Amino acid sequence: MGNLTFKTYLEELKKHTPYNFCEYSDNSIQRRIDKVLKDHKMTLEDLLHLTRTDEAFVENLVDEITVNTTELFRNMETWEHLYTKVFPNLKSKKNINIWHAGCSTGQEVYSNLILFNELGLLDKVKVVATDINQKVISNAKKAEYLYSAHQSSIQDYNEFIKKYNSNAHTFEHYCDMEKNTDKFVFKDFLKKKVGYMRHDLVSQDIPFYQKFDVIFCRNVLIYFNPELQMRIVRKFFDKLYDGGVLILGNHEALHGFFKTRFIRSGMVYTKSSTFQFKYK
Amino acid sequence: MMNRKASYYKSVVIGGSAGSFSIVSKILAGIKSDFRYPIIVCLHRLKHIRSGLLEGINLKSNLPVLEPFDKDNMEAGKVYLAPSNYHLFVEFDSTFSLSTEEVHNHSRPSIDYTFSSASTSFREKVIGIILTGANKDGATGMHEIHKKKGYTIVQDPLTCDVDTMPKAALQLFTPDQILSPDGIIEFLNNL
Ligand SMILES: C[S@@+](CC[C@H](N)C(=O)[O-])C[C@H]1O[C@@H](n2cnc3c(N)ncnc32)[C@H](O)[C@@H]1O
Repeated sequence: MGNLTFKTYLEELKKHTPYNFCEYSDNSIQRRIDKVLKDHKMTLEDLLHLTRTDEAFVENLVDEITVNTTELFRNMETWEHLYTKVFPNLKSKKNINIWHAGCSTGQEVYSNLILFNELGLLDKVKVVATDINQKVISNAKKAEYLYSAHQSSIQDYNEFIKKYNSNAHTFEHYCDMEKNTDKFVFKDFLKKKVGYMRHDLVSQDIPFYQKFDVIFCRNVLIYFNPELQMRIVRKFFDKLYDGGVLILGNHEALHGFFKTRFIRSGMVYTKSSTFQFKYK
Repeated sequence: MMNRKASYYKSVVIGGSAGSFSIVSKILAGIKSDFRYPIIVCLHRLKHIRSGLLEGINLKSNLPVLEPFDKDNMEAGKVYLAPSNYHLFVEFDSTFSLSTEEVHNHSRPSIDYTFSSASTSFREKVIGIILTGANKDGATGMHEIHKKKGYTIVQDPLTCDVDTMPKAALQLFTPDQILSPDGIIEFLNNL
């Protein structure tokens, strides 16, 4: 066991638990595991032992391995594009189905709901939001955040929305500030719009029957290797209506086959219908 | 260097803090346009300045400068600038991976992360260059390149506006060379 490598460890993790990180990007998964070893002052052999025997430890491990950083209105230019160019096209639809895959602690979800409310479309919206990490899902449900940590994003949002509509609600309309603390919580009319669920994109089938108009998967695929990315994008492709959109993170791109099956505009990828689909 | 074959290296990685912008510009303006390795540049960025850093660097560079997308391949003769708010990692297959994990040494991108991933992936086939800077980020990464027998160059502290970064590296190990910006240009052009 002396020459246990992080790769063989990941194989063992896959064998003994529901989790499969074998096809995550090598360098980053290796460093995440190194960090776990350092934080717990243990060896890879210790880690393997706990992985085999301690279920609660494994759940905690998933929380430590995954990167859960997120923001309200992360990359404002993408939201601006969605608000002005993409979402208005959904007006004629009876229902608007939205999935946030890898939603982390929920900031992306509430950012999106605010924009739909500002467009007068909130009633049509049905939102599901999923993540592999149970802890972040619980936090997303609570919808409780620190004001100081989000202050600059909130300012950015208020400036942005006033630019397009001087009668728009400011951010403060959407949440209750807790007196004498740094906390705010989103109001129920937003919270109750969302169905949160723990779901692993890699090892579980997609748990939804319906198709989607909008799928967010931002800053999740960057942690996967190219082959795994391709498999997940295929699932998204199958789950989108023709003309539906996939929204990726700021420096992500579709490679290979699916590059030709979506029309790209900024970070928004529109599924081209097979009928319209032609080579130029 | 003498006995190392043509195209021995897999990449050159350069790190510096926000103030090293002018040095990086100078290096890229001085480098010959037929340079045959990919260059990866990781600079600290000032938060909340939606900078024209890329445009600025491209202006004078002899080689095309771009901010890579996740899983892009690196190509010889191109300069890859770590995008703001992401860590930039080098993978074994010469592609890039991005990550939004926590700031390291107050920085995202972190020079340590880029350097240490390059040394993990390319081992001795990497040239690490650390420039002027006001933070110790990068020193550990340089040390790792050194430990894996990559080639290390530290900007001469006497030619630095702020020498915290080079000095932090020099405290950890003795690099192959300590050079002025002109010396760095000459070194690269003779590779
Ligand atoms: C960096 S966060 C992105 C949050 C948000 N989408 C954003 O861009 O701000 C990445 C999220 O992907 C989740 N994730 C990682 N692997 C996953 C998997 N196999 N299935 C579902 N979610 C996963 C992580 O738990 C984490 O919360």
